[in-house]
Amino acid sequence: MDTGLILYTAAFGLILIGSAGIVLSTHLVRTIFGIALLEAGANLLLLLATYRDGSSAPIIVDGRVPAAMADPVPQALVLTAIVIGVGILALALSLALRVQRAYGTLDLREVRQRLEQDIADDAGIDLPSSSDAPQALLTRKGSQA
Amino acid sequence: MNKLVLLVALPLITAFLLPVINRVSAFAGRWSGPLILLISSVLGISLWSQLGDSAVAVQLGGFRPPLGITLYADQMAILFAVAASLGTLLLWPNGGEDPVRQSTLALILAASGSGLALSGDLFNIYVFYELVAVVSYGLIAAKATSGSYAATVRYLVVSSFGAAMALTGIALVYQATGTLNLAQLAQLAPTHLNTVQGLAAFVLMLIGFGVKAELFPVNTWVPEVYATAPARISGLLAGVVSKLALLIIVRLLVLVFHQPEALTVMLVLGIIGVVSGELAAWRARDFKRMLAFSSIGQLGIMFIAFAIPGKAGIFAGLAVALHHLVVKPALFLLAERWSGSLSSLAGAAKASPLAAALFILLALSLIGVPPLPGFWAKLLVLLELSQQAQPLYYLGAFVILAAAALEANYLFRVASRFYHPEIGQPTAATHRMPELARASLLTVGLAASVFALTPLAEQIEGIAAQAADAAHYIQTVNPETQP
Repeated sequence: MDTGLILYTAAFGLILIGSAGIVLSTHLVRTIFGIALLEAGANLLLLLATYRDGSSAPIIVDGRVPAAMADPVPQALVLTAIVIGVGILALALSLALRVQRAYGTLDLREVRQRLEQDIADDAGIDLPSSSDAPQALLTRKGSQA
Repeated sequence: MNKLVLLVALPLITAFLLPVINRVSAFAGRWSGPLILLISSVLGISLWSQLGDSAVAVQLGGFRPPLGITLYADQMAILFAVAASLGTLLLWPNGGEDPVRQSTLALILAASGSGLALSGDLFNIYVFYELVAVVSYGLIAAKATSGSYAATVRYLVVSSFGAAMALTGIALVYQATGTLNLAQLAQLAPTHLNTVQGLAAFVLMLIGFGVKAELFPVNTWVPEVYATAPARISGLLAGVVSKLALLIIVRLLVLVFHQPEALTVMLVLGIIGVVSGELAAWRARDFKRMLAFSSIGQLGIMFIAFAIPGKAGIFAGLAVALHHLVVKPALFLLAERWSGSLSSLAGAAKASPLAAALFILLALSLIGVPPLPGFWAKLLVLLELSQQAQPLYYLGAFVILAAAALEANYLFRVASRFYHPEIGQPTAATHRMPELARASLLTVGLAASVFALTPLAEQIEGIAAQAADAAHYIQTVNPETQP
């Protein structure tokens, strides 16, 4: 099996796993890890865009031009994308910390419930009761109030 | 023409100098941000008048087109760059805990918004888009309430997902063509991107850039964010930032992706956006979320309009977009003091008669009642839709008409409540002067445009004709190419 195919499989696999993690996970930190995986996959795909087996860096040493040179543009782009990704990851985790301090939970279903409650309280309307609202949460909310 | 660079560079430099300036003088720290935005708005307007019908491209660092970074300015780009500066100036964040940090973020938002409008390179667009996203997280969370943190983090997840999708699309484009310069892509697109891979790249980028443009499957953040963010920031996101994202999608459609399927995807998502947004707005029971959902519906109309092929679609779409650009921020400014439930607004007209009158005028224009500009914009979209042969476009026209009926229902319901005799204690607060002044300014501008409809329409048509001309773009960026 050639290297290119393996790398492409890895890139699309990471994108798939990351997307599934974002959509399916109910824990905020796992969702954030999903974003990290998704970004890694996208970055790998960008690097692979001009991948050629056995190519070397496009540097002319002693007047000798390498036979196959790698395109440096995607490498520069990926560097930028990685930096952006790390920054957003840090921001996401710090916001997750704030959410944890505010609501005492990182479960996304609970966070969403509490957020809806906050917005409704703010507007002075009562939350429409829905049949799929987790019952345990509602009673706990009641006992706190 | 190097003044073009200043539109991006000036606010960006000031943003990072602001903490230092503030340490020297609090007065300078407070006013240098708005001053710089005023300067860059004036700069942009003077560029607009210089430019006329021509367009310019600036190669940063003097590298020739495919290698360097290109800034491209036609009328549409400058229009939205000025909208970014002027919009941020008008909706300058106030209040909150740390005004200096918020000012810094607002300046970066203006700079990256202008950059987004002017950029002629796909990767730069991605970077500016991420910059806009990161800055808006900070501005949304400025209230520092538990709700605003939760809304921000949920927005961040959706937005990061979208950005990664856009990056994947960019990787696919680069894989097929080996360039990200939009002018060069426009040349290579007919031979290299007229494939399934090209279509996949477009759909990925549509989802990616659609997050900010409140496109249907990735707009779950809209009601939560607009309900918890400061009113001015909601206005800025709904009014200006969403249009910038839309501008990118239009550019991509004109220059790079010519498949008819691409338009169909946009049309279908737009129709779903209108239906879901307007129905949710109809059901909403508080003012801010009603506005948020109605904004999803309006953006859906723009997606439907831009899905019409050729110049006609851009003309109609631009008309709706410019109308919404003025109306939605004004409505959010009014919403600042009407954040309560709709039933608590009974008798609000007595507390602030001017605000209620402004709301009614804006609502009438939003619904599309002649002779207000909103009517002409919607009429234009409907006329262009009726010229199309495909039945899906007729569905779009029908949905827009039905949505107008729904809008009339829920907006008039609010308006009638304003003039309802109060029951018990009046709960609605009076508006603060700065908010009211800004909303009045926008509304007066909207009303004044009624008297200049014909020149305005000709102007917008000119912008659309220029924006729809891909050969013109290629020629401007790279004059050596043979037409």
